[in-house]
Amino acid sequence: MGIHVHLRVFAGRDYMTESNHSTFEHPEVQLAGTGYVAAYVAGIALMGLSLMLVKDHALDPTALGIAISGIAGLAALLQCVLLLHMTLSRTQIWQTVALVLFVPLFILTIGLTSWMFHGLYQRTMLRPIAASQAMAPAPLRAPR
Amino acid sequence: MLVHIDGPWSPLLGRLALTEIPYKNPILVGTFLFAVVLAVVLVGLTTYFGFWRTLWRDWLTSVDHKKIGIMYILIGLVMLFRGFIDAVMMRTQQAMAVGPHSAGYLDAVHGYLTPYHFDQIYTAHGTIMILFAATPLLVGIMNILVPLQIGARDMAYPYLNAVSLWLTAAGAALVMASLFIGDFAHAGWFGIVPVMELPYSPGVGVDYWMWAFQLSSIGTTLGGINLLATIVKMRAPGMTWGRLPIFTWASLSANLISLTTFPVVTVALALLALDRYLGTHFYTAGLGGNLMLYNDLFWIWGHPEVYFVILPAFGMISEIIPTFAEKPLFGYMGMVVASLGIAGVSWGVWLHHFFTMAAAPAVNAFFSITTMAVGIPTGVKVFNWAFTMFRGRLRFDLPMMWASAALFFLLVGGLTGMMNAFATNDYMVHNSVFVVAHFHMMLLLIVYAIFGGVNYWFPKVFGFRLEQRFGRMFFWLFTAGTAVVFVPMFTLGFMGMTRRLDYVAFPQWQPLLDIEVVGIVIYVLSAAFLVAQLYVSLRDRAQNRVGADAWGTSRSLEWITHSPVPFYNFAVTPEVHARDERSWRHERGLDDAAPVVYEDIHMPCKTAIPLGLGALGFGLAFALVWRIWWLALLCSGAIVALIVIRAFMTGTSYTIPARDVEKMEHDRKRGAAKPARAQVPGGSPAPVLGGGT
Ligand code: HEM
Ligand SMILES: [Cu+2]
Repeated sequence: MGIHVHLRVFAGRDYMTESNHSTFEHPEVQLAGTGYVAAYVAGIALMGLSLMLVKDHALDPTALGIAISGIAGLAALLQCVLLLHMTLSRTQIWQTVALVLFVPLFILTIGLTSWMFHGLYQRTMLRPIAASQAMAPAPLRAPR
Repeated sequence: MLVHIDGPWSPLLGRLALTEIPYKNPILVGTFLFAVVLAVVLVGLTTYFGFWRTLWRDWLTSVDHKKIGIMYILIGLVMLFRGFIDAVMMRTQQAMAVGPHSAGYLDAVHGYLTPYHFDQIYTAHGTIMILFAATPLLVGIMNILVPLQIGARDMAYPYLNAVSLWLTAAGAALVMASLFIGDFAHAGWFGIVPVMELPYSPGVGVDYWMWAFQLSSIGTTLGGINLLATIVKMRAPGMTWGRLPIFTWASLSANLISLTTFPVVTVALALLALDRYLGTHFYTAGLGGNLMLYNDLFWIWGHPEVYFVILPAFGMISEIIPTFAEKPLFGYMGMVVASLGIAGVSWGVWLHHFFTMAAAPAVNAFFSITTMAVGIPTGVKVFNWAFTMFRGRLRFDLPMMWASAALFFLLVGGLTGMMNAFATNDYMVHNSVFVVAHFHMMLLLIVYAIFGGVNYWFPKVFGFRLEQRFGRMFFWLFTAGTAVVFVPMFTLGFMGMTRRLDYVAFPQWQPLLDIEVVGIVIYVLSAAFLVAQLYVSLRDRAQNRVGADAWGTSRSLEWITHSPVPFYNFAVTPEVHARDERSWRHERGLDDAAPVVYEDIHMPCKTAIPLGLGALGFGLAFALVWRIWWLALLCSGAIVALIVIRAFMTGTSYTIPARDVEKMEHDRKRGAAKPARAQVPGGSPAPVLGGGT
C-alpha cells in the first residue's frame, strides 16, 4: 500500500518567481551584463541601416531583398548570443530549446510564403518592388 | 514623419471632438443608457453590500490564479453577451432588408442599419467572439485548472498572470469604448486590405480594432509563456509527463501555438500601424506595397489561433467523458500525440483561407493536403472518445450532455471543413455563408465544451454544484436555436448567398432568413433559462455543497483538494502516483487521508501594479487611436516606470507558517457543514501584504 508514500511531504524547491531578494542579485540581471545593452544598440543600429537602405532605394530590388534578409539574420544572431545566451547550461537550456524549436517554423512559414508569392507574382501580380521604382514616392493623403 | 490626416486635430485632444460622440444614433444612445443604468445598479449594489473593500483586496489586486481565471471568464461572458447582441442585429437586419421593396428605418434605405453601421457590427462580432469571448473564457479555464491539475500552488509567474489579465481587459474595454466614442472598424474581423489603409478608412475605427487586438494578443502571448513555464517547471513530485492530466496536455499544445503564432499577428498589426501612422507601404495597393502579405501574415496566426481555441475545448471533453463513463480515458498516449499533432499541422495550413487568391496549383494542392491531414489526429481523438464511452457506465449529467453534444458539432464542422479544404470546392463556397456556418459549428463546439467545463468544474471552484433542471432546459433550447439558425445558413450558402450582406437582393431567400430569426429568438429564450439556472444555483447553494470530488467518479489531481479550493491550493504539495491520481487514491481508500506533517507555504503577495499597467495600456491605446501624442507619451513613460518600480519592490511574497496551514485545514474540516465567512468564491482571501494569516 502506498499510504506512507502519499503522506510524505514535498520539500522540494519553490519555483514561483516571487522572491524577496535584491533586484540586482536576480540571476537574469546577473546574466545580463553589458550584453543586453549591446544587443539593444546593435538591434537599433541594424534596423536603422535597413531603414536607410529602403528609404533611399539604395540598391536594386533583388539586392535590396538580399541585403535586408542578411541584416535581419545578423540581428537575429546577435540577439541569440547577447540577449538569450543560448547555451546548454541548466539555467539556459529551456531558452535554447525554445529557440531551436522555432527554427523549423521559420523555415516552414517563410519557405511556404516565398513559394506561394513566387507563383503568385508570375501568375497575377506586377512585381511590386519594380512597381515602386517606377513611381516616385508621394505623400499619402486621404481622399476628400 | 507622421502621415497627414484630413480633418481637425488639436494638440490637446488629437482627433477627439464632441462630434465624435454618436448622440444622434438612437441605437447607440439606447445602448449607452443601458450601460449607464447597468453601471449605476452595479455601483449601487457594490456600495449597498459594502463590497468595495473585498472587490479591491480580493479581486482587482489579486494574483491568485483561480481568481484571475474567474475574472477572465467574467470578461469572456460580458463580451459573449455583447457579441450576441451584434448577432441579433445582423440576423434581424438581413431578414428585414430583402428585395428592393423592403422598408427602411432610421436612415437606412433597407432594414434599420446603414451599410456603414452594419459593417461595424459584423466586424465587432467576429473580433469580440474570437478574441474577447472564446479566448478569455478558455484562458480563464486553463488558468484555474492547470496549476490544480499539476499540483502547483500558483502559476509560474503570478504577477505576469495578472498583467495578462488586465491587458486583455484593456483590449475589451477599448472595443466597448468605440461604441460611444467614434466608430469601430468596418473591414471584417480579419481585416481586409487595402480597405484598412488610411485612404480607405480615414476614421478611427481601424485604429480601435488594431490596438484592441494588439493589447489582447500581447496579453495572450504573455499568458501562453506563463502556462508553458508552469507546466514545464511547476509539476508536483511524481507528476511525470506520462501522468500529466489530459487537459493539461491540451493546454500545453494550445499554448505552444499561442507562443509561436501570436507574435506573428503582433508584427502584422504593427506593420499596419506603420502604414497608418507613418505612411509606410507594407500593405498598400501601390508604391511597393503587397496586399497579399497582410493576408499571409494574418492567417499564419489566424489558422493556428482557431486550433488554439479548440485544443483546450478538446481537453475539457477528454476530462468530462471519462468521469461520466466511469472509465479511464481510452488511448491516453494517442490523445497526447494527437494534440501535439494538431498543433504541429496547424502551422502548415493557413493558405486555405485564401485559396481563391490564385496561387499556383501546386501551392493550393499542398495546402489542401495539409488541411485535410488535420482530420487524422482529430479522427484519432473522436475514436478515443467513442471507445471511452463504449461499454462505459454512462451518466448524462449536465457536463456530459454538453460534452457529448459538442462531438456532434465536431462532426458537422469537421466535415464541412473538409469540404472547404478541397481548393476546387472552395472556389464555389469561399466568402459564402456556407463558410460562416462551417466555422460557427466549430466555434459552437468550443462553446459547448466551455459550458460543459463550467458545469463540470464549477463545484471545484465555488464549492457547490449548478442546478440541473433549468440547466437542461437551457441546453435543449440553446441546441434548438443552433439548429434553427445554422441549417438554413448552410442551405443559403449552397444557394450562393455571400457573407456580410447588409441588403439581400433575392426575395426567394426570405423564408430561410426568417427561419434564422426564429432561431435567434430561441437563443434569446434560452438565455432566460441560463439566468434561471444561475439564480436557482445561487439560492440553493447550501443544499448543493460538494466535497473534494464533486461527481463521485472524477479522476484527476484537482479533485483531491477541497471544494472550494483554498487559496494555497493544496495543504501539502501532493505526491503523484498514477495518471488518474484521484481514482488511484480512491481505490486505495485514501480519500480522507490527512497529512501528518505540514510545511510552510510560500505565496505571492497581491499587487495593484498589473491593474495599473492595464489601465495605462488602455490609456496608451486610446491616445494612439485619437492621435493624442502627449497622452501616448505619458502613458508609455508611466508603463516603463511602473515596470521598473515593480522590479525593485521587495516583500512581494510571504510565507504561511506550517501551524497556520494546519489550523486552517482543521477549521475547514470542522466547519465543512457550515462554510466559514472567509470561504469566498474561488477560495479564501489571501492575507495582507507581508503578513502571516
Ligand atoms: C477539420 C478541421 C478543419 C478544416 C478542414 C477547416 C477548413 C477550413 C477552410 C478550408 C476554411 C476556408 C474557407 C473559405 O474561406 O473559403 C475555413 C475557414 C474557417 N474555419 Fe475552419 N477548418 C477546420 C477546423 C476549424 C476549427 C477547429 C475552427 C475554429 C475553432 C475553424 C474556424 C474557421 C474560421 C474562423 C474560418 C473562416 C474565417 C473567415 O473567413 O472569417 N475551422 N476552415
Ligand atoms: Cu483555417
